[in-house]
Amino acid sequence: MSEEKKVPFLQLVFDDFILLLFLGVAVYAVSYLIWGLIEIAWTPPIPDEIKQALLGR
Amino acid sequence: MAILPPREGWFHQKVARDEKIWMGLAFVVSLFLFFWMIVWHVYAKQNPSFVTYKTTPEEFYELTQAFIDKYRIGEENGIPVVKPPPGSDVFLLARQFRWEPVLVLKKGEEYRFHISSLDVLHGFSLQPVNMNFMVYPKYDYVLTFRPTSAGEYYIVCNEFCGIGHHMMVGKIIVEE
Amino acid sequence: MAVATHGGEQWFRTCDVTGFKVDTRAERIAKVNAVMAVVSFLIAVIAALLLVLTRWQIVHLLPVDWYYRVLTLHGLDALVFWIIFFELAALVFGSTAFLNTRMSSPFVGWAGTALAILGFLLVNYTILTGNADVLMTSYAPLKAHPLFYLGMILFAVGALLIVSTFFANLMIWRRENPGQSLPLFVYGLMAAAIIAVITIVSGAIIYIPTFLWSLGIIKDIDPAVYKLVWWGLGHPSQQINVSAHVAVWYLLAFLTVGGQSINEKVSRFAFILYIVAINVASAHHLLVDPAVSPVWKVWNTSYVMYLAVFASMIHAFAVPSAIEVAQRKRGYTKGLFEWLKRAPWGNPAFSGLMLSMIIFGFIGGITGVVNGMEQTNIIAHNTLSVPGHFKGAVVGGTALAFMSVTYYLIPLLFRKKIAFYGLAKYVPWIFGTGVAILAVSMYILGAFGIPRRHWDITFSGGPFTFTYNPVTDFFWALFGIGGILAVVGALLWILQVVVSVFFGQPFRGPQDLQIPIAEPVQMDGEHKGFAAPGTFVLVLLFIVAFVIFVALNYGWLSAMWEVR
Repeated sequence: MSEEKKVPFLQLVFDDFILLLFLGVAVYAVSYLIWGLIEIAWTPPIPDEIKQALLGR
Repeated sequence: MAILPPREGWFHQKVARDEKIWMGLAFVVSLFLFFWMIVWHVYAKQNPSFVTYKTTPEEFYELTQAFIDKYRIGEENGIPVVKPPPGSDVFLLARQFRWEPVLVLKKGEEYRFHISSLDVLHGFSLQPVNMNFMVYPKYDYVLTFRPTSAGEYYIVCNEFCGIGHHMMVGKIIVEE
Repeated sequence: MAVATHGGEQWFRTCDVTGFKVDTRAERIAKVNAVMAVVSFLIAVIAALLLVLTRWQIVHLLPVDWYYRVLTLHGLDALVFWIIFFELAALVFGSTAFLNTRMSSPFVGWAGTALAILGFLLVNYTILTGNADVLMTSYAPLKAHPLFYLGMILFAVGALLIVSTFFANLMIWRRENPGQSLPLFVYGLMAAAIIAVITIVSGAIIYIPTFLWSLGIIKDIDPAVYKLVWWGLGHPSQQINVSAHVAVWYLLAFLTVGGQSINEKVSRFAFILYIVAINVASAHHLLVDPAVSPVWKVWNTSYVMYLAVFASMIHAFAVPSAIEVAQRKRGYTKGLFEWLKRAPWGNPAFSGLMLSMIIFGFIGGITGVVNGMEQTNIIAHNTLSVPGHFKGAVVGGTALAFMSVTYYLIPLLFRKKIAFYGLAKYVPWIFGTGVAILAVSMYILGAFGIPRRHWDITFSGGPFTFTYNPVTDFFWALFGIGGILAVVGALLWILQVVVSVFFGQPFRGPQDLQIPIAEPVQMDGEHKGFAAPGTFVLVLLFIVAFVIFVALNYGWLSAMWEVR
């Protein structure tokens, strides 16, 4: 029942829902979630010169 | 056919000419929209800022009080009125359910706003110019504003912050 | 219902209309989820009426605490429970009946359904008892009762279980049909299921620590982290809708006029773009927020250079062109638009399909891009423009598409005749017109700076007061009229569904079919030249409207105070 027909590589990608699931999760996780969390984590504190100007210390 | 597997060779079917033209056009518009935002950052005057500082409610409260004490010129409805010099750092504090202080600014001058919250999330909605930004506790959002029109402006809270949310209105006066 | 012993497996019946082999175990799970969807929709619609009558300041019905309570209820029942239950039903039914395959694990399906219903009950209960006045987004540090978060977690886990049976069903199908490609409708559902995984996992990541925080076990939830991860739930949950309702559009084009995508590869490619790029647009909700930088914002808000908008525009051509080509094959070839004029407008599923596409594209789509561009978000964020946009996208687009396809589900899934069928042809028009008026008036009110989620825009009790432009009074009246019209349309539909499903006459076979199913049109080979000139003109019209609207908004933005 399996005839030897060449299925184009891209069609295999189109049909492979597990690969697509992986791609969808990966793009979201890296581009949105991880990058976003890194930026939040790297937020610097208020610089001292701004604080000194107001608090005088 | 939407409900049956596609017919043999679906992957090799040529795209009709009108669909091809449409896809080209749609793709160009999509790319244009993306690069437009970057170009706007470079050449135009209304952009969200790159600067945020980490803070604590205690620290931000202390800084705001020092700022108010330094430039205070009066009081309106129980809220201090403050007139900072052009080009200075301005502190605006959001809390359930008020904005402090009332600011007196000069038209055409730049002010470096520091905006943060003492408690929950709030929304900074400047009316009637209609510019909207988010206010978080623990984060000091730095936005450099240059008022381009004079008059009385109001800051409406537009992020739900509790039962008194609708009472939370602040004020900015811009002098010629 | 004749239970056939097809393939030796006694749980199958063969549908006497479509010839599909239907796994009755999957069918029962789908039915329960569909009923839950309608229950959620009913709660959401009643809440919507109360909200319209409160925000419309001349009525101002609810007191302040109940306004926010009902708003929380409306948000979760409309944007989470109604649509996700409906999608779960579609996933279960679509991955079995449409593939002639069996339900991988009815037990997991039932367990998921039970957990989801329990979550639904907990969330609705905590809200109505005043223990979760935190709105749909429940931004920490606003805190709700632990049972509220627990309910959300249970719902998410239940939904994830059902989504996992969907993928398991697909694997069984692939083993039984090696080398085959999925039908386009199921392919669209597959895209929706992948987005659902992302949504649900994000929900779990954020609700579990928040639940522990509400119990006092964790001391602190960072507001920026909460908002970032929460929108990984909040926005993709609406992208499940987009994918699912586009899949439903293809299905309806087929059922109502026999139309088929003129190029399956193009349509599938667009679904892949959704899978890859649409989820990062959660950034739409963080554009004017501290902590994340404009570089992150521009990249993510644009769905990685607008690939998902590109995908939607591909569907915007593919679905109407499927209709046009089928109609032309039937002989409606005069001029550019005879195919449209002679379409089966009396079929509620067809008029619903067309209205859904128009409202989604012209109202939901265009406003969505403008609201979601980094700079123009400054003039839209948290104003009524935001719910105005998603009324167009989710209510006019998704809900209307789901309502339309339900007219086929009543006979084919529930095996009941449609009650008051004569009414059906008016329902999409009443609902669609109402939603369109509501969405547009909200969008305009937002442009005047009127905030969303606000009990009293006269600011009674505040230290200052501010009066919005008096022109807004006119749009508030439109808002009220549109809202009431939409509620009437929705209630009529719910009435039809409830009466049909619970008290309706049984559907005994093709002779009882009230809503027509079109003969499929034979598609032959390649298209020479323009396949769908009428559609081409329509999409050009769309892109002109789109570009003008973007330009207007940026022009307006440039008149604001300077900010950087």
